[in-house]
Amino acid sequence: MLFGLCWALLAAPTELFQGVPQRIMYVHVPSVIAAYTALLVVFVASVVYLWRRDSNWDRVAQASAELGVLFISMTLASGAIWGKPVWGTWWTWDARLTTTLILWFIYVAYLIVRAWAPGPRGARAAAVIGIVGVLDIPLIHWSALLLRTLHPQPTVFRAAGPALPGSMLVPLVIGIGAFLAVYAVLMVLRTRQERTLQILAESLEGS
Amino acid sequence: MAYVSAAYLLAALLFLAYVLSLRSRQRMISDMIEALRQREGRA
Repeated sequence: MLFGLCWALLAAPTELFQGVPQRIMYVHVPSVIAAYTALLVVFVASVVYLWRRDSNWDRVAQASAELGVLFISMTLASGAIWGKPVWGTWWTWDARLTTTLILWFIYVAYLIVRAWAPGPRGARAAAVIGIVGVLDIPLIHWSALLLRTLHPQPTVFRAAGPALPGSMLVPLVIGIGAFLAVYAVLMVLRTRQERTLQILAESLEGS
Repeated sequence: MAYVSAAYLLAALLFLAYVLSLRSRQRMISDMIEALRQREGRA
């Protein structure tokens, strides 16, 4: 991550129109990719949990939802900071920004349900939110393509291939890889913690 | 450069907050293990 960060800040070229603030892209894009990955994991784990009622999958969904909220928060914050020098405003009720904010609210609601309704009932309700919430991701993606928005169209994940030059694409790909690696490590740690907590809670109740 | 620094710093702070929450849960786990040991010791 540090290697990617140094490359993004020191070696990557400065964009002609936006200038230095464009370097925020090296945090903004990796954080949104990590958020989408985390929420897709929530979706898969929630479907499997509702199908098999195996609490291991519930723990995976919970850990991934927490990380998803962390990464969407990063995306929204870095986007707002990028928007100020480039668009002249921190926030605008643009289709892409609004649908991303809705995604954040959905998964914050997921975490609130987890906190307020522990046990299988809360897990089932959260799983439904986790499945429904992921439907917002295609809306976010298509909002920049179908509607008139301030947010630029995709420059990396598009049918015709990335529109970025190699000197910008390489540090961006390193950043995406680093964010996904951090997601994977935190996911393993958090899932293990939740498993240990459950075993300990059962032992303390039983003794 | 101030905007870029702010964005990177905020991302670092969010990561730090999450790692601290993991650490605090780990401490809770250690306390629970200790409580369980004490109960077993008394029994």
